[in-house]
Amino acid sequence: MASLSEEVLLVVKKVRQRKQDGTLYLMAERVAWCPEGKDRFTVSHLYADIRCQKISPDGKAKIQLQLVLHTGESTTFHFANESSALKDRDATKELLQQLLPKFKKKANKELEEKNRMLQEDPVLFQLYKDLVVSQVISAEEFWANRLGGINNTDPAVVNNKQEVGISGAFLADIRPQTDGCNGLRYNLTADIIESIFRTYPAVKQKYSENVPHNLTEKEFWTRFFQSHYFHRDRINTGTQDIFSECAKQDEKGLKSLVIQGVKNPLVDLLSLEDKTLDEGYGICTTLPSTSNASKSVKDSSNSAIIKRFNHHSAMVLAAGSRKGETPTDQASETSSTDGNSRDSDFFQPPVKKVKLQEAIEYEDLQRENRPKTVALNLKKSDRYAHGPVPLQSQHYTTSQDIINSVNYIRHEMMNYKPNLTEVLSSTAASSAIAALSPGGVLMQAGAQQAINQMVPTEVQGELRHLYVAAGELLRHFWSCFPVNTPFLEEKVMKMKSNLERFQVTKLCPFQEKIQRQYLSTNLTGHLEEMLQTAYSKFHIWQTRRMMRKT
Amino acid sequence: MKLNIEGLLVYFPYDYIYPEQYSYMLELKRTLDAKGHGVLEMPSGTGKTISLLSLIVAYQRVFPLDVTKLIYCSRTVPEIEKVVEELRKLMEFYAKETGERNNFLALALSSRKNLCIHPEVSSLRFGKEVDGKCHSLTASYIRAQRHINPNQPVCRFYEEFDAVGRQVPLPAGIYNLDDLKDFGRRKGWCPYYLARYAILHANIVVYSYHYLLDPKIADLVSKELAKKSVVVFDEAHNIDNVCIDSMSVNITRRTLDRCQNNVDTLQNTIQKIKETDAAKLREEYRRLVEGLKEANVARETDVYLSNPVLPDEILKEAVPGTIRTAEHFVGFLRRFLEYLKSRLRVHHVVQESAPQFLKDIFDKVCIDRKPLRFCAERLHSLLRTLEIADIADFSAVTLISNFATLVSTYSQGFTIIIEPFEDRTPTIANPVLHFSCMDPSIAIKPVFQRFQSVIITSGTLSPLDIYPRILDFRPVTMASFTMTLARTCLCPLIVGRGNDQVALSSKFETREDFAVIRNYGNLLLEMSAVVPDGIVAFFTSYVYMENIVASWYEQGILENIQRNKLIFIETQDAAETSMALEKYQEACENGRGAILLSVARGKVSEGIDFVHHFGRAVIMFGVPYVYTQSRILKARLEYLRDQFQIRENDFLTFDAMRHAAQCVGRAIRGKTDYGLMIFADKRYARADKRGKLPRWIQEHINDGSLNLTVDETVQLSKHFLRQMAQPFRQEDQLGLSLLTLEQLESEEMLQKITQIAHQT
Repeated sequence: MASLSEEVLLVVKKVRQRKQDGTLYLMAERVAWCPEGKDRFTVSHLYADIRCQKISPDGKAKIQLQLVLHTGESTTFHFANESSALKDRDATKELLQQLLPKFKKKANKELEEKNRMLQEDPVLFQLYKDLVVSQVISAEEFWANRLGGINNTDPAVVNNKQEVGISGAFLADIRPQTDGCNGLRYNLTADIIESIFRTYPAVKQKYSENVPHNLTEKEFWTRFFQSHYFHRDRINTGTQDIFSECAKQDEKGLKSLVIQGVKNPLVDLLSLEDKTLDEGYGICTTLPSTSNASKSVKDSSNSAIIKRFNHHSAMVLAAGSRKGETPTDQASETSSTDGNSRDSDFFQPPVKKVKLQEAIEYEDLQRENRPKTVALNLKKSDRYAHGPVPLQSQHYTTSQDIINSVNYIRHEMMNYKPNLTEVLSSTAASSAIAALSPGGVLMQAGAQQAINQMVPTEVQGELRHLYVAAGELLRHFWSCFPVNTPFLEEKVMKMKSNLERFQVTKLCPFQEKIQRQYLSTNLTGHLEEMLQTAYSKFHIWQTRRMMRKT
Repeated sequence: MKLNIEGLLVYFPYDYIYPEQYSYMLELKRTLDAKGHGVLEMPSGTGKTISLLSLIVAYQRVFPLDVTKLIYCSRTVPEIEKVVEELRKLMEFYAKETGERNNFLALALSSRKNLCIHPEVSSLRFGKEVDGKCHSLTASYIRAQRHINPNQPVCRFYEEFDAVGRQVPLPAGIYNLDDLKDFGRRKGWCPYYLARYAILHANIVVYSYHYLLDPKIADLVSKELAKKSVVVFDEAHNIDNVCIDSMSVNITRRTLDRCQNNVDTLQNTIQKIKETDAAKLREEYRRLVEGLKEANVARETDVYLSNPVLPDEILKEAVPGTIRTAEHFVGFLRRFLEYLKSRLRVHHVVQESAPQFLKDIFDKVCIDRKPLRFCAERLHSLLRTLEIADIADFSAVTLISNFATLVSTYSQGFTIIIEPFEDRTPTIANPVLHFSCMDPSIAIKPVFQRFQSVIITSGTLSPLDIYPRILDFRPVTMASFTMTLARTCLCPLIVGRGNDQVALSSKFETREDFAVIRNYGNLLLEMSAVVPDGIVAFFTSYVYMENIVASWYEQGILENIQRNKLIFIETQDAAETSMALEKYQEACENGRGAILLSVARGKVSEGIDFVHHFGRAVIMFGVPYVYTQSRILKARLEYLRDQFQIRENDFLTFDAMRHAAQCVGRAIRGKTDYGLMIFADKRYARADKRGKLPRWIQEHINDGSLNLTVDETVQLSKHFLRQMAQPFRQEDQLGLSLLTLEQLESEEMLQKITQIAHQT
């Protein structure tokens, strides 16, 4: 169990457990304790199994830490190093505090996932009941295959969990509180910090540049909230402000966005006007202020706010769609422009055409294009379900044909002369009639279609469950071949015994039940056949193995 | 479907039709029959354009001699392109139904910036640069120089077009701007000049207002368009301002300085030419003696659209002797310039009429009225003679000479205001001479006179009767159509009070009131929680918006709004606003929802549609009155009162309400669309304001929703939105607001349709 590659995060010596001295190890995935003088862990808990940790109150003589597991068991460690017991305990506690949530989340997620799968898929749920609850196979075995299967079939779903967007108001959620002595307190959560980083990559860059070499995390955020960057309506920037560069970068980004222009020609205000008046003509009701100096500070701070809101919204929007868009972006990149206006000219029409077409569309004036469908209106749905047997590929006879043939038969019948020398004997005739009546030998084909009527529904349901369960087990069984690892070997043996157990506990009672109800026994024939095939495969494999061994 | 509009077979490229479209076509047909002008109001989103096109194209086919051309004027480039696309759809339908390709030629015309395919020139960003550069490659004298000096760069596309393009007419078809460029690229011809040439024989021309209304451009482009044309001004609710703008001139000190430079350049050039090529100047002199006969003959024989800058009288005369030689003219310009400079040195505001100005100029520098009138024409001739390539450089002197001609031609309809400083900054000297046109009818008069039918149409033209008055024409039909609706998909609400009963208003006295600002903020906040996807809010002016945004920011209202939706704000920079708009649409598209804060009369309110989820609610904060303290506006109001008997208040309210209607109308672009229209000002409840809203909005304001509080508004909105979110299918509309051909032809429906048109 104790693989050497495991990363040891913390080692605490002189930790007693059950009155025994030893060493406590905190590793990447588990916490373990080994008694002094031995090289084996006697206690080992995966973090995922731990529900919570408890510590002894500060004033107590014994400094202890208790781990409570999901199963309800608990383990208590006593920190016995006189000089540093408290420190040791606190270090352990801190580390555990960081580690446990991660695993808890994972464990919960898995549980949730399992729960969800069972809820969404009744067949699976039934299978779970059949196999796990009745203890044919263990839950772990059941899920090992299931979850893995899902992971394998479409990894995209699992890896690409849905990206959560950013709330537009995340900055508003940081409510400053006065702390009573001329100061402000900002409460930051990990979510908010992530939102800030995702929306303003420049801040993230600053963060990684400065923290922790130059500033502590706390200092960094203090500066952030003090900076004009956060209070964008302040115009004057201090030069020592580390965020002034961010502002400049933002400005640049905004500018480049503006220069890039818009893709949709219908919202491009620049090319909206066809012919602007020449300079000097026209009535200017709002005089364009030629001198910027005349603008008061208040005005420019107002326009700074407006700019800020536009930028903020654009960034939030971009952060939300950044991940998903990258592939498409690249695709469009190649097709669209590299800033060259002439290039874009060639590629513009398609977008423009589509937009124009959309704009002149009157959907309600057009007759709907798709062919009119008539809603299916069934009076007796079962008649629809097992309706008349479909006609095989035979010629359809027109009514004329039918009339002709009727006439022909009538004509034949009129001229019919019994050839009495070649008639059947009466016994042969009666047996033929018996064979041709319902239930007779020749009418067997017709009986097949009636199986769902012959067998009561609950039996059918049971049979279906059996099939599903057997299929599942067999799938496990067959997936072991070719058996090339000891693990698989072990598994195949287990699966074989599982199959046998299934046959004994599930299949046989069912067969007996059918027999009691006098139903035709070949209902389970196919199931048995499948099991037999598996057994024979197993035997072949086993004999071969024996031969190889000897 | 094929319709019978009073005996005219109209192909309509859809399977269904709105009743109001039918009604609209009826009115339009009557207007064309009477060969008169018409004013038609129909809500946006009811297929105005396609109705217009279907009927006029049908008319052109049946009566090819009565209506030879359709000139369709729209306001923005996307609008122009949309019209052409609709036309394409119609023509495809014709081809499908009749089985033959008709030989219609229809094309869009736009400025060089949108049509140029010259690799260097088209890469320039601004329209003016493109024009200037194009001119420097294609001017006649540059091309003449090339014969001597083959290294002189010219535009190969223009050369090719000039050599071949004029002989071969543009093949029939529908040409949008991009199609023209494609065609140009294939043939190697300049699409711009090709289009300008082709509009003369095209059946349908789609271009911007300015090509007809701005005398400087109309003279170049539209002069020779056939008299038997039908002119349509779409989105014409602002047409009077376009007219006025095109005739008004502002002169600053900078203009005069540049003009001074221009005059110096002219002087030098004349000196040079005199030494090398005196014959050229003599030739010009001779031509001027002959007079402007040529133009006069053309106009009398009805070939030309008259130019309001070039009034009829002066065409009959020759250029007066005092400015006939080039040196004399330059001297004359100098004197005029000095005079203007002296006028700009005033220290108080001066307002005077054109005759007063003329008298003053005669007294001070002895410049007569007559030479002034010929100033523009004389300069034009001189620039031609001197072979000046880059006209753009001479814009200042052209401006001054245009001003001279205008001020001496029109004794009425214009006013001169000289302001030594801006009102807000009385300490900084920045003198401006405003020569402002107050009478929009001057610019549009030639259009009404020349073309047999002029249709003025828009979604918001109420009250209808004011347009004929201020544009001074006599329409044969005036009608306002409502929108027939199977469900009331618009919900106009007037919010008069905050939850604390404070009256909401943007009027001057309460504009700075914190209670009002806070309540406006609350309204937006509450709506942002209720309305899905996009909300557009309009403020009365940019300054007002800035102030409100700032105080919302201080009060933390914006932060709370951000919890619900992202916020985007229009800025004064068009490129920035475009980006904000695109992001806004993106946010609506991906489900996050957004709010756009914008300004009435701004570019967004005039040119951008907010269809479906891009605008589920429009909030109009305040009544968008124009800035009333401006002297130009005051002069115009006075003029309107004296000349047209329109009271100041009536006009101001009319102007405010048409802009408000434009803003709120942005959200409804069709019958399947739906949206809230929230008027957040108690003044909207008054009859004089409400009565000036378009009928299709007015109808849906009920007495219960005249003075709501914010809470009540939220309740009503919730209810409305919940109803509207139900699925809405074609069958729900059929027979009510959407008709098949059979339904349309039923007696009962025809009866109903006659009521849709609201005659005034």
